[in-house]
Amino acid sequence: MLRKIWSLAELVIIDGLRRHALMGLVLLAFGLEAGGLLFFDFIPRDIGRASADFILSIGWLTGFLFLLFHAVQVMAWNEGRRTVHTLLARPISRTQYVLGTFLGLATLLILLNGILGLLGYGILSLIQNSVKLGGYFPQLSLVHYLLSWTGLFCIELMILAVILLFSGLVRGGFPVLLLTVSYYLICTGLPVVRNAFIAKPGNDTLHIDSTLQWLTAIFPDFSRFDFKALVTSEPSGIFLQHFSTDLLLMVLYLTGILWAASIVYQHRDLQ
Amino acid sequence: MITFENVWKKYSKELFRPAPAALQEVSFSLQQGQTLGLIGANGAGKSTSIRLLMDFIRPDKGAIRLFGLPASNLSQRNQIGYLPETASFPANLTVLDLLRFTGATCGLPAKTSKERGEQLLRELGLWEARSKRLSTYSKGMQQRANFVLALLNDPQLLILDEPMSGLDPLGRGQIIGLIQRLKQEGKTILFCSHILGDVDRLVDQLLVLHKGRTLFNGAPATLLAAENASNIETAFLSLINHHLSEHYAA
Repeated sequence: MLRKIWSLAELVIIDGLRRHALMGLVLLAFGLEAGGLLFFDFIPRDIGRASADFILSIGWLTGFLFLLFHAVQVMAWNEGRRTVHTLLARPISRTQYVLGTFLGLATLLILLNGILGLLGYGILSLIQNSVKLGGYFPQLSLVHYLLSWTGLFCIELMILAVILLFSGLVRGGFPVLLLTVSYYLICTGLPVVRNAFIAKPGNDTLHIDSTLQWLTAIFPDFSRFDFKALVTSEPSGIFLQHFSTDLLLMVLYLTGILWAASIVYQHRDLQ
Repeated sequence: MITFENVWKKYSKELFRPAPAALQEVSFSLQQGQTLGLIGANGAGKSTSIRLLMDFIRPDKGAIRLFGLPASNLSQRNQIGYLPETASFPANLTVLDLLRFTGATCGLPAKTSKERGEQLLRELGLWEARSKRLSTYSKGMQQRANFVLALLNDPQLLILDEPMSGLDPLGRGQIIGLIQRLKQEGKTILFCSHILGDVDRLVDQLLVLHKGRTLFNGAPATLLAAENASNIETAFLSLINHHLSEHYAA
């Protein structure tokens, strides 16, 4: 079973690596990250934090563009051009198709994050060495830097799994793109709504807070995986414990969403 | 080898417009070593039948069995070679990438897959173009690439959806030759085609569909005798005209 899933993932990876648009996206992100070397001189203080924020935001933006304009399209093209018929004519189940496609796209995301992360670390090191006053860039923690990219990757994986689910539920790339953007906006907006609700006294009688909390099981709080602010601080053991709990929840979430996507694909007619 | 029993299929409704059934109570069977030609006008249900056989879509009623197992069972897929109506490959892959994928998913040893792939690519004139992206192939080359992929696992059953569509006379001749050779090798073949002259040359059994219903199922000679025609094309047109005149009379 794993051989079949990996064979399909390989096709997705090779197809993605040969796409000129993706090469262009990587080059654009390269250029933007390298641009950090030019602009940090204009930051009056806290250069370390601003630069790390900048590098990771570019990483996030690139990953998001990859998800919306490659991952969504891969699924839509497979159905629209009936490539899925060519693939499923082999002894490969629809669950294996979902998992193979997910694995292939996730591997491309790892490659993308790896390349941009490596370049970003080099740029941050250069900036740190260029800053004369140590207080403006006191620390560049490799552990926290890697953790920040892992956090980004976790968010991207959750969105990717949801894209596969939406692609099974609705036909066409554009509706899936709209649903994905809506999902992302709800995920980012829900914690803000919860905080606003908790801040008002006497609101807990309507059980709205617990409803909002349960909604995070469907629309996860992505800010729990946002560690940009830690890149320039000391490593902390307590924090890592929280992260491992979130990681476990993320794995459960991915399993649930991919299981749902497989069920949807198994029970529907292909286009 | 193939059993299609009272199969009904209706596609999902469009808004405010009830969809007609794509297939209504269609039944046929195909024995090992036989060649069945599925013919009919556009919208007759040929491609729907093939998609049902390949389990891309599911019947509303009825049962479909391949090698004695339900069409959804994956264990018989190793024995099937499928040729889609239109070449549909991921845009940036080569035929070698897809041969590796087919070999791996069919459980072929890498060496066997490589050797057989090379033999088929040479035989179908694609060896020189093996490293080119499939999106740069001509229609005929894409169809031949599809044949290479369909035949890699040396299948017992071939399901071919419009194998000659869009090909020039040379390409058509090559594909007909290939199907005839596979027939002589004892493969079971089911194919649908608009080009009735080709069907005439290849099939042992005919299934004529019209608007989702079976109009004829049997040997070509029986159809020719019943319609008092000299070739399949004339017999087909006569059968459709009879059906339409009966329909309007009713």
